[in-house]
Formats: sequence, C-alpha cells, structure tokens
Amino acid sequence: MLASLEHVTKRYVKNEGLRDLTLGFPAGEVVGVLGLNGSGKSTLLKLLAGLLFPTSGRVSAFGGLPRRNRAKIVFLGENDALWPWMTPADAGYFMRTLYADFDSVRFHELLRGLEVPLRKTKTMSKGERGRLRLAMALARDAKLYLLDEPLAGIDLISREKILSSIVREWHTDETILLSTHEVAEAEGLFERVLYLRDGRLALDVSAESLREQGKSVVDAFREVLT
Amino acid sequence: MTTNKDEWSLDMSGGPIFEQIAKNVHQMLARGALSPGDKLPSARDLAATLNVNPNTIVHAYAELESHGVIEKRRGLGTFVRMDAPIDGLRHDMLHQAATAYADEGRQLDATIQEAITALKEVWDAG
Repeated sequence: MLASLEHVTKRYVKNEGLRDLTLGFPAGEVVGVLGLNGSGKSTLLKLLAGLLFPTSGRVSAFGGLPRRNRAKIVFLGENDALWPWMTPADAGYFMRTLYADFDSVRFHELLRGLEVPLRKTKTMSKGERGRLRLAMALARDAKLYLLDEPLAGIDLISREKILSSIVREWHTDETILLSTHEVAEAEGLFERVLYLRDGRLALDVSAESLREQGKSVVDAFREVLT
Repeated sequence: MTTNKDEWSLDMSGGPIFEQIAKNVHQMLARGALSPGDKLPSARDLAATLNVNPNTIVHAYAELESHGVIEKRRGLGTFVRMDAPIDGLRHDMLHQAATAYADEGRQLDATIQEAITALKEVWDAG
C-alpha cells in the first residue's frame, strides 16, 4: 500500500471530522472522494497530506508518517493562496525553490495546455487561477496527489481542461485522490469511489462494478447519501 | 477523426465504460466511420478526450483485440485489422435494431405484415 489509515478518528473542538476510518490505497489508483459538505472529505485528504494529525489511529504514507514524506505528496487545497502580484512565471519560481521535484518544463507545458494567461493573478478569473494552481500541483513529480475540490466554483470550460490535464499527466504508478461535488463530470476518471457520510465510510466500491449493475457513480451517490 | 468527442457516446448509467467504448468502435465500423487499416487514438489521447481513466480505454482496446477487431503494431499504435469482421458487426447491429422493433410490435399486438408495412412506409419516407 502506498498510503493507509487504520482506525483513524479525527475530532475537532466542536465536531468529529472522521470516525474510525480504515482504508488502503495501492499505487496507481484514481480514487473519487465523494460526500456532502462536512462529510470528512477534506479531513481525509489533509490527514494523508500530513497537514492534520489523527486524534486516534494511524495514518501512514510510503511506510511512515505522511509529514516525513511530503516530498512524495502533492496536496492541492481549497484555499487560493496565490499572491495577487504573482505571474505564472513567479509561481513557477516559487514552486522550484520549495520543491526539488518541480519540473519547470512540464509546468510550462501545463500552462499552455490549460491555457493559463501569463499575467498577474489579481487580473485572472477564478477559473484561470484554478487552472494555474493545478499546473503548479501537477508539475511536481510525486507519487500521491491529493486534490481537494479542484473543480469547485470554476466555469465549465476550465473544469473540462482541468480534468483532461489530470488524465494526461497521470502516470500509472501514481495514486490520485480527488474530492469533488462535480461528480457527473469527473466520474469517468475514477476507478474507485469512496462515499463519506458524517465522517464514516458509507461505501467503497469500484466504479466499473457499479456500472455493471447499471448505476452511475452519481446514482450510487444518491442511494448512499440521501 | 476519432478524437472528436462528438463521435463518441457514453452513458454513465449505461453499463461499464470499457464495454461502451468497444461498442462505439463496433458502431463506427458498421457505419463506415472507421475502416480497416485506420489508426485508433492512443489510450491516453482518447482518455483525455472523453475524460475517462486511461486504464478503461486500455481495457476496451484489449477487448476489441481479443475479438479480432483491432491490433497493436509495435511502435506504431493501434489499428483496425484488415480482416475486421465488419459484415458480422453490421449484421449483429441490424438484428439488434430489428429485435427492439419486433418487441415493440408484439407489445402493440401488431401482425408481422402490419410491422413490415409500417417499416416500408417509414423507410420510403426517410
């Protein structure tokens, strides 16, 4: 297993993020992480990224604590922390100084493919900034990609470009966990889907086996979560 | 040609995607949109066009290969076989459509003569 959780519970001050979750992720899987708001999707990704620590249980990635293996893990969060004065070139420089695995050539290919305008981020639309942030994330050469809502609040064309770039950049030995509300658009990408409900695992299933039963990932979402 | 998204039809509630991809290729062949010797897009290109997992396309191509429809040529890509069973595919698809029509006719208590007459009228009008 590339990463795993064993009986992981994460409690926040006021509420529970995750309750007794046990999961394993082998190398080379594209996993959809689905659930309503507050179901624990972000908590799960942040635990695997080493940005949060479990209240109880064990999270491991690459045989150790996730935070010790940050070099092999990409986390794309919901917060848009781009400085307003930054151009994509500045962002590339910034990433290169932070991450040894950042590939500038790949970054520029991604910027072209995602049609990111080469001007300051303060003049970009939300979709353009989302595409830039994805290019920054995918230009790293990691083994575990944790993409938290990369499609949220972004226009349709940008969403399509983002999904195609993920398909193009994915190597068969890399594992991607992608949380999204845009289930219908993204579902073709998923080999496996996790449905979270109130911090618990409601269903963990192969997407093609759902379709074998004549159900889409969206249909199963309705069944499981409502 | 086949990397144009509009030429493919996928229904996420319509069964496994790998089967639908294979069926799309069958249809393109039966309708002449794809011919023996034509090159198919790489798994990754088609996956990016349709926004599906590349492994699913690989699975679909393996299925088509095992049925003698396509072949991999080392270093060149994936091609429709020169001896792809196009007549057989055409025959199967026509029979599938006929089965659906026959089922509907029976539900309407139509005789075969009525059904044939209706088909002829529609056919000539089209």
